[in-house]
Amino acid sequence: MLKSPGLKPLLFVKKGGELSLPGQELTRLLQAVLEKGASFRFRARGFSMFPFIKDGDVITVDSLSGGKPRLGDVLVYVNPRTRKIVVHRMIGKRRDCYIIKGDNTPDSDGIIPRENILGRVKRVEREGKRIFLGLGVERVIIALLIRAGILSPFFLPVVRITRVLKRKRVR
Amino acid sequence: MKEKEESMKANVSLETVYVPSEDIVIREIEGELIVVPLVSGIGDLEDELFTMNATGRAIMEKLDKKKSLKDVVNELSLLYKAPADEIEQDVVGFMEELLKRRMIVKVSRA
Repeated sequence: MLKSPGLKPLLFVKKGGELSLPGQELTRLLQAVLEKGASFRFRARGFSMFPFIKDGDVITVDSLSGGKPRLGDVLVYVNPRTRKIVVHRMIGKRRDCYIIKGDNTPDSDGIIPRENILGRVKRVEREGKRIFLGLGVERVIIALLIRAGILSPFFLPVVRITRVLKRKRVR
Repeated sequence: MKEKEESMKANVSLETVYVPSEDIVIREIEGELIVVPLVSGIGDLEDELFTMNATGRAIMEKLDKKKSLKDVVNELSLLYKAPADEIEQDVVGFMEELLKRRMIVKVSRA
């Protein structure tokens, strides 16, 4: 037996959520899983896709091997400037690039090259229940409404109130 | 009872070559080796993930389709300056755990 206890080979189990991954590490892990043809399931953070994806929802991402992104798809991409993972909706296409925007952000993310797109959200779960709204055929209408600037002004005040309430609860 | 426990153990042989399973993704993250099992085609960060200490990692990195477990034990014996027969038990125990969790697979019998 290895005499020093530190030398004994050990396997540790980490429960979901215990692992806090920095943005770039999450990107690398996501890429590695998608490259194997598997889906990637993780907890989304933030309010930029409210109300279709809420802070803390668990999302499952598929690679794009099944085809090109379609209008209204919720895509997972690497932001070319920050190198962080972003989960936002495709609202348009320009040559080999995509126009992407959060459902609840004032501005578009800009034009994102195809090579930055990692995958497409295929499933959203909230408190153990599957959420269908926002990923079906209605995604096209949502994308068109966002493009027309109709959706965000409606949701932004709701999110601000939700944030304030959450902060109060934490205190 | 003890017999039942013995039969539950994964059967690890020193003559066998083992490799990491195709159903896991291994990545080094902030100096730590993270293993994500792919269960039913999903790598799930909300489910169980695995990490290992430096010795476990050294074993995992030596599983290369060529070395039998005996070769791995001998290499570790040199690395840690410990007699091979002394570390064998720990390595086999660790490999049993990996095999039970389907993190490694057998390649062939030498």
